[in-house]
Amino acid sequence: METANETIKQAPLLEARNLTKVYEDGVKALDNLNIKVMPGEIYAMLGGNGAGKTTTINIFLDFIQPTNGNAFINGIDSNSDPLEAKKNVAFVSENVQLYPNFTAMQNIDFFVRLGGKSNYKRSDYENALNRVGLQSEAFDKKLRDFSKGMRQKCGIAIAILKNAPAILLDEPTSGLDPKAGKEFTKLIGELRDEGKAILMSTHDIFRAKEISDHVGILNNGELVAQRTNAELKGVNLEQLYVEYMAGYMEETDQNLVLTNDLN
Amino acid sequence: MIKLLIEKELKNILLSPKFAATFLVCSILILTSVYIGVQEYHTAVAQYEANQQIATQDIAQATNWGSVRNQVHRKPNPMQVFVSGLHFDVGRVSRISGFQDVKLTRSPYSDETLFALFRFIDLTFIVQVVLSLFAILFTYDAINGERENGTLKLAFANSVSRASYLISKFAGVWIGLIIPLLILILIALLITTLMGVPISGGDWVSISSFIGLSVLYVTFFIGIGLLVSTITRKSSLSFLLLLVIWIGGVLILPRMSVMASGQLVEVESIAQIEAKQEAYQKARWDEYSSTISETWRKRSQEMEGMDDAERQAYRDEKEWDWLEEDDAARKQVQQDITENNRRLIEETSNQKKLQERVAFSLARISPASSFRLAAMNIAGTDIDMKSRYEDSMREYRDKFTDFTQKKQSESGSRGGFSINVDSESGVKIDFGRDDQTLDTSEMPQYSAPVLSTSNALSKSILDFGLLGIFIILTFGGAFISFLRYDMR
Ligand SMILES: Nc1ncnc2c1ncn2[C@@H]1O[C@H](COP(=O)(O)OP(=O)(O)OP(=O)(O)O)[C@@H](O)[C@H]1O
Ligand SMILES: [Mg+2]
Repeated sequence: METANETIKQAPLLEARNLTKVYEDGVKALDNLNIKVMPGEIYAMLGGNGAGKTTTINIFLDFIQPTNGNAFINGIDSNSDPLEAKKNVAFVSENVQLYPNFTAMQNIDFFVRLGGKSNYKRSDYENALNRVGLQSEAFDKKLRDFSKGMRQKCGIAIAILKNAPAILLDEPTSGLDPKAGKEFTKLIGELRDEGKAILMSTHDIFRAKEISDHVGILNNGELVAQRTNAELKGVNLEQLYVEYMAGYMEETDQNLVLTNDLN
Repeated sequence: MIKLLIEKELKNILLSPKFAATFLVCSILILTSVYIGVQEYHTAVAQYEANQQIATQDIAQATNWGSVRNQVHRKPNPMQVFVSGLHFDVGRVSRISGFQDVKLTRSPYSDETLFALFRFIDLTFIVQVVLSLFAILFTYDAINGERENGTLKLAFANSVSRASYLISKFAGVWIGLIIPLLILILIALLITTLMGVPISGGDWVSISSFIGLSVLYVTFFIGIGLLVSTITRKSSLSFLLLLVIWIGGVLILPRMSVMASGQLVEVESIAQIEAKQEAYQKARWDEYSSTISETWRKRSQEMEGMDDAERQAYRDEKEWDWLEEDDAARKQVQQDITENNRRLIEETSNQKKLQERVAFSLARISPASSFRLAAMNIAGTDIDMKSRYEDSMREYRDKFTDFTQKKQSESGSRGGFSINVDSESGVKIDFGRDDQTLDTSEMPQYSAPVLSTSNALSKSILDFGLLGIFIILTFGGAFISFLRYDMR
C-alpha cells in the first residue's frame, strides 16, 4: 500500500504553511509551522501539553485565526473561505460531546446531515457504529448516559460518515479502552487506504509509530523533528521524543525536516 | 441547512425535561386563570344585572321624579378575563344625582378584601412574569451552553455559517416556545366561549392583538436571552445576568418609574387642594368685607355735614346704585372663587396627567411595562377606564337631571311638597304623591362608554413599535456578537 501512495504525486489535502499563532495574551502557540499531509497519509503530531497541537487543528477549522501563515484544506485557505474548506474535512475532538437529550442515532443523523450527507439510511449509521465498535444496545440510548469512550466512538462514526477527503483528529483515542484503541488504529489504517489524508494529534507514541506515515514532534509551537515511517524503523521513538522535548538536537535535524518535501 | 438546524433545535427543546416541566406549569396556570377569570366574569355580570334591576325597581317605586335615587353600574367587560387591568380596583357603581358629582365606588376588591389579598392572576400577568422567565430559561445557554458542551465546535467543524446557525437557533426556540403557548391560549379561548362569555367581533380583534403583543413580548425575551448567551462565555454567568435583567425589567423598573415620576412631578392631594381653595375663599371674603366697610365709610363721609333730611334724600337717590355696586362686588368675589377652584382642579389634573406621562415614559424603558400598558389599552381595562366611565356617567347625569326637572315641572311638583291655598277647599298640602308608580319608559338609559377597537389599538401602537425595536436591537446585538464569537 505504501508503494501505491508513493507513485502518485498529488497536492497535499492538508497543509500548514508558515503557520504562526500568538494569542492575545502574548503566548506564542505556533511558530512558523509547516506540515503537509498527502492523500492516503497519516500524519501524527506529537508534543507535550501546550505544544500547540490543538491550536493547529483549531486554525484548520477556522476556530481561531492565524497570526501569520495559512492553513489549507484541499487547497482552500480555511481562514479566507472557511465554509468551502470545511466541506473537505471531518473532525474528531479529544472529548467528543453530543446532545445529551438525543440518542446516538439522532445525534449521528444530525451531525452527518450537517456535514452535507443526507442520503444515508439507518443501516448505514448502524454499519458505521459497528465499525467503531459501539455496542448495538447503545444505538438508541440517550447520550446522557454514555461514557467518554462511547461518545468518542460516536464522534469517530460521524467523521467516517461525513466521508470527507481530509480528517483532523485531536487525540481521538483519549478515553478509548485498549480494545477500542486497537480497533481505532485499524480503522484509520483503512481510511488511509481509502485515500484520506489524516492529521492526528496524539500522546500515544507507540501507536503513532505503528500507523503513521509521518511523525512530527512539536515543542513550544515549533516543529522540532519530522520523520517518515521508513526513517523510524529501528528507532526508539520514545527516546527521540524525550530528547526533542528536552530541546536537544534541534540544529542537527534540518536535513531530516527537509526530507518531508521529497515525499 | 437551516431547516435541519431548526429541526434539531426544536427536537432538543421538545425532548428536554425542562420543556415538559414548563409546559405543565404553563398549562395549569393559563387554564386555571382563564377558568377563574370566566367565573369571575359571570359573577360580575350576574351582580351587574341584579344591581341594575334593583335600580330600576327603586326608581319605579319612587313617588316622584324629585326623590328618585338613581345609580349606574360599570358593565363587565369580557376582555377582563384575559387582561384584568384595573377592573378589580376601580369602583363599580356611582350615584346619579344633581347634588353630587359622579364618583365610582365599591371596587370588587374593596368589597371582597380576601381576594385582594391574593390577587387574581390573569393571562397578562402569566405572560409578563412567567413566560418571560421561561423564555430566559430556554435561551440563557443557547450559545454558550453549546460551547461548554462542545457541540458548537462539532457543529462548526462543518460548512455551517454563523448567520444561519443563529437564525435557526432563534427560530427553533421561537417555534418551540410560541407554538405551545398559542395552543394553550387557543384552548383557553375555547374554554371562554364554551363557558358562555359573549365575545364580540371587536373583542376578537382585541384578543388577536393581545396574542400578537404576547408573542412580541416573549420574542423579546428570547432575543435578550440569545444576546446575553452570545456575549458571555459561561452559561452560569449568562443565567445570573439574565435573572438580574429580568428582575430589573419585569419587577423593579415599572414600579420605580411610578415612584420616580412621583418625585419628579408633584401632584397635590385632595386635602391640599381643598385647603388651598378654602384659604383663597377666606382671603377673598375677608378682602371683600374690608372693602365693603371701607366703601360704606366713604359713603357716610360723603354725607357728612348734611342734615337728616338731606341725608335721607341723598340715601334714597343713591341706595339703588350702592346696592347694585355691592352686589356686583359680591358676585365678582363668588366668580373669582369658582374660577380659582376650577383652576386649582384643572392644574392638579394636568399635573396628574403629566405625572402619568412621565411614569409611563420611564416605565417603557422596560418592555414589560410596554406589554402591560398595551395589553390594558387593548382590553379597555387601562388607567383611563375610570375617567372614561366617569365622563360618560357625568354626561348621563346631566341628561338624567334635565329629564327629572322636565318631569317635575310637567307635573307641577317641585319635588318636596307644594301648598295650595284654595278658597273652596282651604289649605291643601300636596306631597306630589301620585299613587301610581313612576313611568320610567321615557327615562334616559345609561349605556357604558364604548371604546372603539381602532381607538384602543392606536393607543397601543407605540408599545407595539417599542417592542419591535427592542426585538431588533437584541437580535441584532446577538447577531453581531455571534459573528465574532469564539467557538472553542
Ligand atoms: N485561548 C487561548 N488564549 C491564550 N493562550 C492559549 C489559548 N489557547 C491555548 N493557549 C496556549 O497555547 C499553547 C498551545 O496550546 P494547545 O492547546 O494548542 O496545546 P496542545 O498541544 O493541544 O496541548 P494538549 O496536549 O494539552 O492538548 C499553550 O501554551 C496554551 O496555554
Ligand atoms: Mg490539545
